[in-house]
Amino acid sequence: MKKLIKQVFIFTFIITVLFTITLLRANNGYSDPFYKRFTSPKQESLIIGTSKAAQGLQPSAFKKYFSKNIYNYSFTIVHSPYGIVYYNSIKKKLKENTKNGLFILTVDPWSISSNTKNPNDSKNFTENDLCLAYTSSVNINPNLEYIFEKFSGKYYKLFSQTDKSMFLHDDGWLEVTAEMDSLSVTKRKNEKINTYKKENLPNFKLSEFRLKYLKKTIQFLKLHGDVYLLRMPIHPDFFKLEQKLMPQFNEVISEIVPLTNGYLDLTTTNSKYTYIDGIHLWKESGLLVSEVVANWVAKKEKSE
Amino acid sequence: MLFNSLNFAIFLPIVFILYWFVAKNNVKFQNVLLLIASYFFYACWDWRFMFLLMFSTLLDYVTGLKMQNAENQKGKRFWFWLSIITNLGFLAVFKYYNFFAESFTKVVSQIGWEISPMLINVILPVGISFYTFHGLSYVIDIYNNKIKAEKNIIDYAVFVSFFPLLVAGPIERATHLLPQIKKERKFDYTKSVDGLRQILWGLFKKIVIADSCAEYVNLTFNSSIEVSGIDLLIGAFFFSFQIYGDFSGYSDIALGTARLFGIDLLRNFAFPYFSRDIAEFWRRWHISLSSWFKDYLYIPLGGSKGGNWMRIRNTFIIFIVSGFWHGANWTFIAWGILNALFIMPSILFKSNRNNIEIVAKGKYLPSLKDFIQISITFTLVTFLWIFFRAENITHAFNYIYNIFSISFFTIPTILSKRLALLITFLMFIEWVGRDEQYAIAKIGLQWNKIMRWSFYLAIAYTVMLHFGSKEEFIYFQF
Repeated sequence: MKKLIKQVFIFTFIITVLFTITLLRANNGYSDPFYKRFTSPKQESLIIGTSKAAQGLQPSAFKKYFSKNIYNYSFTIVHSPYGIVYYNSIKKKLKENTKNGLFILTVDPWSISSNTKNPNDSKNFTENDLCLAYTSSVNINPNLEYIFEKFSGKYYKLFSQTDKSMFLHDDGWLEVTAEMDSLSVTKRKNEKINTYKKENLPNFKLSEFRLKYLKKTIQFLKLHGDVYLLRMPIHPDFFKLEQKLMPQFNEVISEIVPLTNGYLDLTTTNSKYTYIDGIHLWKESGLLVSEVVANWVAKKEKSE
Repeated sequence: MLFNSLNFAIFLPIVFILYWFVAKNNVKFQNVLLLIASYFFYACWDWRFMFLLMFSTLLDYVTGLKMQNAENQKGKRFWFWLSIITNLGFLAVFKYYNFFAESFTKVVSQIGWEISPMLINVILPVGISFYTFHGLSYVIDIYNNKIKAEKNIIDYAVFVSFFPLLVAGPIERATHLLPQIKKERKFDYTKSVDGLRQILWGLFKKIVIADSCAEYVNLTFNSSIEVSGIDLLIGAFFFSFQIYGDFSGYSDIALGTARLFGIDLLRNFAFPYFSRDIAEFWRRWHISLSSWFKDYLYIPLGGSKGGNWMRIRNTFIIFIVSGFWHGANWTFIAWGILNALFIMPSILFKSNRNNIEIVAKGKYLPSLKDFIQISITFTLVTFLWIFFRAENITHAFNYIYNIFSISFFTIPTILSKRLALLITFLMFIEWVGRDEQYAIAKIGLQWNKIMRWSFYLAIAYTVMLHFGSKEEFIYFQF
């Protein structure tokens, strides 16, 4: 019996070592749209928001204007609207002793709304059951907790490159590749609009709780550097939807702006850019927007 | 608790160590431990249904004793029918009630009566079809004086609920399993290593093959209208490998796990995809169920003794019942009928026992004739699986109809090189090991230690890489 137990132990040990080595080498960016963000080191400057920011803001564009690196720590509207879950995760991702950080927080009506019956019922927020809530460590490689609990799909996908439509860069930018002929774009946009009209618009309401956490996040980040608010551009058709959802958005945000170092609303330039599906900026437009934002922040920093 | 879960990977070593170190060679302690472990294993799904399992166990235990002690045939018959009706009653209520209620409503609506059926909202207790059949075989064997009733309730309860076979078989017989449960069991190194090897191969079939195929199968079956004909055909073939990997993989894990505790379960699969005709296929697929139906239904109905008509009738009955056993849906009944139709020529021409031995025994390759027969049989079986997998009969017919559309002559989009490679590896190893109880039973035993360990490590590593989002075992729903 001892011989069997010894052999099983050795076998398990070898397999565990092999598997761990694989995981260490496998973090290639194609595997999963989030994994790398939980394996990169703690950061001093962050881009915060939902998928609009995750796909639309490219940290590389900021390098021209700033000596420090900024990391895109944005997820999706389901994973990272403002609230306890995202707030705690941001706290974990930020280097504790950061003093001169730069933080760009993207805001829109969806990120401060909730589809729960009572929009302030934080116990039932969707993100409570998703990876940000369950990943206690956000800077460890390999991140076994994420892999075992929340990684979507089989583990061989950690190093396969079969799906090349999404690539998560080392700086946190999620590069999405899609057919960009007008027919495909219109089809995707119309599908998205229908979904938003049918499923989201009737159910989402402004959440005072989320708003409170947006303020809390700003207050926390202010202790570590400068905080800027940004409203990303969006396709005019979607902008109408956002207006319907929250006509008072500008007033709501204007109460928060004094807590920050500035607010840039790029929805005035909506028609200038190209979108993958009406919501997310196509990467070329994303680069333009990132440069506009970086330039604006740089000017603000200089003037202060 | 799934066999392919972290929970089971923790549960199994704990039970194993307690079994051999704490209960040691004391068979009573070992059986008590197995019973507790089995009930815990079952309760992990839904503890409420554990009481149903306990009740079913108690019922058959008591009726078994009552039948044995009955003073006359009438009393014996009473207890026999009490057990049969109660067991089948539970099965009927939990598994078939809604199906019958809905079917009845549809039939009466055809003649103009509109009624709304009273449906029950209850989930199917996992493994009910399997443990009910354990109990039934026990009660029938006592009634037919083939075995004596078991007096020790713990031993009997272990027979019914032994955790490796509890939720998806193999369907055991009291004549085979009970004597092993009562006998003193000592640790056997060779048997345990063999068990671990079988578990490893079972995990490979389930996690690597079945779960990988499932991704493509779900895609083709869930969107069969939009998918091209060639992709539908590939999807159907993938389902053949999915269901084989899923169910035979489960059986391998169950048999291997039982072997770790010194118990040999009935063999459930014998390389069915190397069968040369449908009759051979059914001697090699889900053997414990086929033999159950043969012994407790086909032979009591007269078997093949009463001439061709009797043979045809009985064959149809067991295949329809077998189909219905798999689930309360017309698709399973159609699947059963089609199987009966496909097997009929060999029954009528008495060629159903032509291929008893495994194909090309002792040879490296099959003959051309064997190869053609295997290919035809596999294609027919795949065609039948479409009915098994489809949501309803219309879906099955549409699926088949869409295969033979103009889009058949397009470039397939779901052909995965990785999966094709894995299936080729599976079939190669299965072919090499087809003379054994399971494919890797003897592979590597003659190699040096490094080669052998590398082979097992490569399989285990591939299994690890295919872990991730978990698929349930298909046969749990039956």
